[in-house]
Amino acid sequence: MCASVKYNIRGPALIPRMKTKHRIYYITLFSIVLLGLIATGMFQFWPHSIESSGDWSVEKRSVRDVPVVRLPADSPVPERGDLSCRMHTCFDVYRCGFNPKNKIKVYIYPLKKYVGEAGVPVSSTISREYNELLTAISDSDYYTDDITRACLFVPSIDLLNQNSLRVKETAQALAQLSRWDRGTNHLLFNMLPGGPPDYNTALDVPRDRALLAGGGFSTWTYRQGYDVSIPVYSPLSAEVDLPEKGPGPRRYFLLSSQVALHPESREDLAALQARHGEAVLVLDKCSNLSEGVPAARKRCHQQQAFDYPQVLQEATFCMVLRGARLGQAVLSDVLRAGCVPVIIADSYVLPFSEVLDWKRASVVVPEEKMSDVYSILQSIPRRQIEEMQRQARWFWEAYFQSIKAIALATLQIINDRIYPYAAISYEDWNDPPAVKWSSVSNPLFLPLIPPQSQGFTAIVLTYDRVESLFRVITEVSKVPSLSKLLVVWNNQNKNPPEDSLWPKIRVPLKVVRTAENKLSNRFFPYDEIETEAVLAIDDDIIMLTSDELQFGYEVWREFPDRLVGYPGRLHLWDHEMNKWKYESEWTNEVSMVLTGAAFYHKYFNYLYTYKMPGDIKNWVDAHMNCEDIAMNFLVANVTGKAVIKVTPRKKFKCPECTAIDGLSLDQTHMVERSECINKFASVFGTMPLKVVEHRADPVLYKDDFPEKLKSFPNIGSL
Amino acid sequence: MQSWRRKSLWLALSASWLLILLRVFPVLRLKEPARRQAGSPQGWPHWLDTELLQSFSQPGELLEDGLQPPQAPRGGSCTQGACFDASRCRGGGLKVFVYPAVGPISETPRKVLTSIEGSRYHTASATEACLLILVLGPDTPAGECHPVPPQWDGGKNHLVLSLHPAPCLRIFQLGQAMVAEASPTVDTFRPGFDVALPLLPEAHPLRGGALGQLRQHSPLPGVALIAVAEERGGWRTAGTNFSACPWDGRCEQDHGPKQTHPGAMLPNATFCLIPGRSPDALHFLQALQAGCIPVLLSPRWELPFSEVIDWTKAAVVADERLPLQVLAALQEMPLTRVLALRQQAQFLWDAYFSSMEKVIHTTLEIIQDRISGASAHPSLLWNSPPGALLALSTFSTSPSDFPFYHLQQGSRPLGRFSALIWVGAPDQPPLKLIQAVAGAQHCAQILVLWSSKKPPPPRWPETAVPLTVLDGHRKASDRFLPYSAISTDAILSLDAHSSLSTSEVDFAFTVWQSFPERMVGFLTWSHFWDEAQGGWGYTGERANEFSMVLTSAAFYHRYYHTLFTHSLPKALRTLADESPRCVDVLMNFLVAAVTKLPPIKVPYGPWHQEARPPPLAPGSPRLRAEPQPAAQNCINRMAAGFGHMSLVSSRLRLDPVLFKDPVSVLRKKYRSLEKP
Repeated sequence: MCASVKYNIRGPALIPRMKTKHRIYYITLFSIVLLGLIATGMFQFWPHSIESSGDWSVEKRSVRDVPVVRLPADSPVPERGDLSCRMHTCFDVYRCGFNPKNKIKVYIYPLKKYVGEAGVPVSSTISREYNELLTAISDSDYYTDDITRACLFVPSIDLLNQNSLRVKETAQALAQLSRWDRGTNHLLFNMLPGGPPDYNTALDVPRDRALLAGGGFSTWTYRQGYDVSIPVYSPLSAEVDLPEKGPGPRRYFLLSSQVALHPESREDLAALQARHGEAVLVLDKCSNLSEGVPAARKRCHQQQAFDYPQVLQEATFCMVLRGARLGQAVLSDVLRAGCVPVIIADSYVLPFSEVLDWKRASVVVPEEKMSDVYSILQSIPRRQIEEMQRQARWFWEAYFQSIKAIALATLQIINDRIYPYAAISYEDWNDPPAVKWSSVSNPLFLPLIPPQSQGFTAIVLTYDRVESLFRVITEVSKVPSLSKLLVVWNNQNKNPPEDSLWPKIRVPLKVVRTAENKLSNRFFPYDEIETEAVLAIDDDIIMLTSDELQFGYEVWREFPDRLVGYPGRLHLWDHEMNKWKYESEWTNEVSMVLTGAAFYHKYFNYLYTYKMPGDIKNWVDAHMNCEDIAMNFLVANVTGKAVIKVTPRKKFKCPECTAIDGLSLDQTHMVERSECINKFASVFGTMPLKVVEHRADPVLYKDDFPEKLKSFPNIGSL
Repeated sequence: MQSWRRKSLWLALSASWLLILLRVFPVLRLKEPARRQAGSPQGWPHWLDTELLQSFSQPGELLEDGLQPPQAPRGGSCTQGACFDASRCRGGGLKVFVYPAVGPISETPRKVLTSIEGSRYHTASATEACLLILVLGPDTPAGECHPVPPQWDGGKNHLVLSLHPAPCLRIFQLGQAMVAEASPTVDTFRPGFDVALPLLPEAHPLRGGALGQLRQHSPLPGVALIAVAEERGGWRTAGTNFSACPWDGRCEQDHGPKQTHPGAMLPNATFCLIPGRSPDALHFLQALQAGCIPVLLSPRWELPFSEVIDWTKAAVVADERLPLQVLAALQEMPLTRVLALRQQAQFLWDAYFSSMEKVIHTTLEIIQDRISGASAHPSLLWNSPPGALLALSTFSTSPSDFPFYHLQQGSRPLGRFSALIWVGAPDQPPLKLIQAVAGAQHCAQILVLWSSKKPPPPRWPETAVPLTVLDGHRKASDRFLPYSAISTDAILSLDAHSSLSTSEVDFAFTVWQSFPERMVGFLTWSHFWDEAQGGWGYTGERANEFSMVLTSAAFYHRYYHTLFTHSLPKALRTLADESPRCVDVLMNFLVAAVTKLPPIKVPYGPWHQEARPPPLAPGSPRLRAEPQPAAQNCINRMAAGFGHMSLVSSRLRLDPVLFKDPVSVLRKKYRSLEKP
């Protein structure tokens, strides 16, 4: 303190002493400069933030603030729909062009409010469902906001319910869309078409060439392969929580829950109920509902009230009758309840019928057969009914339960038409996930026995054992059906022997040099392989006889979709360790064959190289082991079939080369192989290997028959 | 004091600067991408008042709309429900009557008539029938089109069938009749009512038919990628190095290797491009037969049997306006899909198109499916081997009941079997055999089919499994009737004379479980082409290969009983009854025609042969009797009846893994297979 005072008194030499008012002046000056700088900074960058927050406020606009478009009374009206339209006549595919992802691009017009000349709105601006639908499209991979790159255009004019719009003015509104062009590539959504008194089955708004995704098409208005038939969305889907109920017999056999039916239909229903009593339940509106209970949620039979849609879960079959419209929202409720819909609406085009197989989930009965409906349903076997119940529920979950599901299924159907080579298959559309998971579609399903004349290609993987390799080549070349020999030279540090040193054999011999010493090189689909049959053989397998190999090829011809090999191996479940174990003992069963010598279809080389699940391929290359187990897993998984073990051969090691440090090496080997099985089973998510108790021998093997008359007398030993 | 102030002021100043810089620069950096973001997809806006939006339908609206009267279907067009009276098919199911030809007719309509008459739905009485077929020939002059048949009735329940573009069809008053026409145009075709037929060549065989050309699953390397259908009926193969439209004449000179096939030779390529005009439909069948994947460019005609066949699995329907895109897609198509399309195309050819009979029977089967409603063939049965003509929906509509679809369904056959023992003419009850079979691990029941004149003994031995005696009618084909008593998927078919050990039965059954669609037997015959006789022959001599297993000891799926009884032409079954040796041949023919694969042989102890009684009375079944010369005729009549030789030879036998290996007997599970 003392020092500071002293300092204070003397002051530094450089700066003159200041008076108090100067000090204040300086502080003020600095503050002003500081504020000025801050203000400048703020000012410089402020406008951008204003802009971005402006964007933000656009996002959060109200529907009521959208721009208004006034339609002159004489603005053009599109032609009525052209009934002969097909994708290749009315749809402009050039707009879709080439697309590596095989996905169409969908553009949504911005929302506007259209008013007639008098200022009367054309329709309600947008409904909740249509907003959801457009949101779903906009959130999907199909969406683009670039109108020039779009292939499909979706107007934001809400056409879901024809009753809530004025037909002519709406058509005028469509016609003035910026890319309308006679409606080409425009997709309109409508769920409730027609209006009193005649209730057309398609939207009455003239729409020229536009595609219509409509609920309630009849066969006369539906343009096969052009329009898309969609469900009528049931608002109850979102309102009510209805837990899934498993298939099986239910309290009522047949139920009708629709309230507004024509008296004729109602008479028929009453007759049905009179004839079959308790098994049939016909519900109607409730006449004496207490206040506050929505009519849509209650149904009555005489004085008894039932909760809707819960009551649907009490029935095996549920009627879906035509009303004034063909498409009924009740279909969605019925499917959801796992009740099999009985559709009695002649000429109705069922939702998504282009791709969905309704025979698996519903019963369609002609209207004139309504009185027989009970006996028709009775004739369906119980197992089939349960299958249909499951299927009905799955259809609802996948394609009915939300507006989003409906919108995406519609776009997928159109996408499949435009990119047919990338289309989704029948199974993808129709099989419930449980079936998809357990079913196997064998890639070589056609029963064919390839001609013997084609022969096989032997692939020898070698590193540097030239002498042994040459012996293998000489031995294999004696097999009559060999058509080519391919040596995969896996040693990058050493060149293969000169051409003149190789054994002279009767078939072409090719040497392929690899870039890296990897085990998976053995299973690469080389262009040099010209036959379907491939024999993978190690460069030290010299013990197999020519008869044995030829017979192996003959067996492969009968089982071209399987691995056909010599020594068999087995996987076992180790109950103590709770994991899989590899077994090479001489057991009565096999589930794998070693690929040290095995025949298989060359397609499996392609699968091994390009379609091996997970990291198995790299894992095998890194561990330099188990490539054969991986191949066994792959083939069994894709075909669902077991291997074929051929002839008695149990091991490859020749008798003279008994292992020097045998036992311990063997044990670590077994542990490694067991690890492989466990690793692969976890990657595949299942154990695809199949265990069998048989092997293939020649017909007369070890029979009491003259050896010289047998086709394969020298079949080798253990 | 002053300088301290000043210092602190400077400090404050620089600190503020620092602050400004720090705050401003990140903003600067952030601003750039933010500006670009404005151009990225904005999407549909999220409205502030989403919650307030009204539903598209008012609450009551969905409930009330039905008060209007139901509409009557508009005239002018027909659907199955409106124009076909299915109630006439009640009772006996579909019964088909065909109007006989008036005067001389040409080859094709005659084949059609023969095929319809050979169908199991055919009836000779027009009043009994619920479907009446009128066959139009290609050569009926336009003036003579109007002999309207007596039962015409406005065309109700009629099918007008025309395998060639018939001039009559256009001027015929069709009324409510269905039309089955070759390659109908998309505009006139009524889905679900009409039937689209394939456009067949003039000389299409009546039955059996030209076999598919596919010999291997994957395309041979070096085979052309694309063949293009030419207007004159041939095919032009284009190399893989095309740069533009290979079907367009303008760029023809651009690509190198190409050859023009004369006449209607089959294309040799992976894909076959077929233009969309109607005459090109003929190319479509050629492509299927060749196993060449049809690529249809905006076809104007309905694909054959499109009601039931899923063509997306076998063909590519592309837009002719996008040639480059189509080419690129074909070139880049993954191998897995190429394989699947190729095999499916070939399968469809074999199942539905290779003969006139198949085409006609498929047509009738489609109509039968429409009538039967819920018990129609599921799509899987139509679209995977062996096809709906060989997978009868009268047996079951659940695919896992059949032997063919276990893989697709992720199911497996029932793990038990029923032994069906046929006791012929003067035979004693096969007590020893019953004991041996009843001891088998998976035996569920034993059925004795008593076909002897003597009454069956009142008492049967006590067995571990239930034993039922069925009454036979002493006809050889009786043993293959679909008895309802058979409760398992597998049947072990036996004769009273058969001699089998329990462990042979056990092993054979485990093998059958791996091959439920094939026959697994112990004793075999093989067929051969007899040059001297100019016909087929067969022998029971031991040989290096075989093509038939004897049904006196064989496992097979119970479905084959249904197929044998309901799908075989009557003539063949009568033949089998007259010459009982033929029964084995017939069953083997049938299974081979369905599976296209040989049966499977399992080991059979040589000691059984010695124990067997010497030659049997003529007409009674035997285990290993030499087929008699008279019976040789039977195999030739079968081959004629099926249209081709369907038997396939095999050179292998399936043995237990350790069979006859020099290892300890204790290790072996089926040790008694080697010694009794």
